[in-house]
Amino acid sequence: MSAASHGAACGVVIGIVLVIFLQQISYLDLSDLVPALEYLLIGGVIGGLLGAGVGWVLGRRYLAHHPMGEPAPSK
Amino acid sequence: MFCAGHMRPPRVHAARVGLSISILAIAVVALMVNVPIPARASASVPQAVATPAAGIAAGVTWNGVNISTAPADSSALAIDFSQSANLKYSWSSPGSAPISINDARLQMFYFGFAVSTRDVTLSTAQSSDSNLPLNWTPLAIANVLEGVYRLTASLVAPNGTTMWSENFYVRGNAPLGLVAVIPIVLIVIALYEVYALVRSGRYEAIGRKAPTPPASSSPPANPPSQTSGDQPAADAAPPSDNPPPSGGAS
Repeated sequence: MSAASHGAACGVVIGIVLVIFLQQISYLDLSDLVPALEYLLIGGVIGGLLGAGVGWVLGRRYLAHHPMGEPAPSK
Repeated sequence: MFCAGHMRPPRVHAARVGLSISILAIAVVALMVNVPIPARASASVPQAVATPAAGIAAGVTWNGVNISTAPADSSALAIDFSQSANLKYSWSSPGSAPISINDARLQMFYFGFAVSTRDVTLSTAQSSDSNLPLNWTPLAIANVLEGVYRLTASLVAPNGTTMWSENFYVRGNAPLGLVAVIPIVLIVIALYEVYALVRSGRYEAIGRKAPTPPASSSPPANPPSQTSGDQPAADAAPPSDNPPPSGGAS
């Protein structure tokens, strides 16, 4: 798993959680199924894209600071 | 760092990743164009679904406030989930034929599903010009949910037909602000995922091979031993050119 894909996975979860949290603080209406699923889909896609970008940048930064000869850290 | 036959140069790989992200971004923008962005603008369900054929005129009050004043989530009634609500159903039939009602129903929807239903059923159906009280204490969800929810108040005939219904919105607050189960769980999940996202750079080193030293042409100094327990004893013994004696001959 690369840093970008791991960041994308985290971003998808954050996007979905953010949509549900906005409903809990009364900024979104998720009473109906179809718009609720659309909001969750949009949140997941945007979160995944942003997370992939952040993960890719962090991965490049990590490789710049840690040479490849070093053993990989534990998860 | 990379082999020409198996791995692409980093520039080509980065360009392909950038192209993929750009295509996905365009797809997301195209998707968002088709979705109504102002989520709080209006309700996506009909505000009041009455049955003109039945000719019934009905109304419901929530703690003395008519629910028709909250037809959208922007004008939702602010309620406390831990306190009971007194609803009063009243209906009348302007026409000549009386309409029998034996069930007053209140439903709360979340993701299109009724997460809470309250029914008041009468043993004998009441005809026109009647009132029916309904007390709803959402204690089961008081410490679980918050936010804006759509509720539907309806009147049901003895044969199960919905004679009248109306949608309205409430803005439920937990007893102490955010102290409800779902917001707390969401905050914990979000914090953990942000932490995992910050640490995602370390995954770049996983799966990448360290540069291998150049292979040497000299054979290994110590060949592996052949005297294992599986080998027969004759193989371990040094070879002999002299055959054993064939016995005595005269």
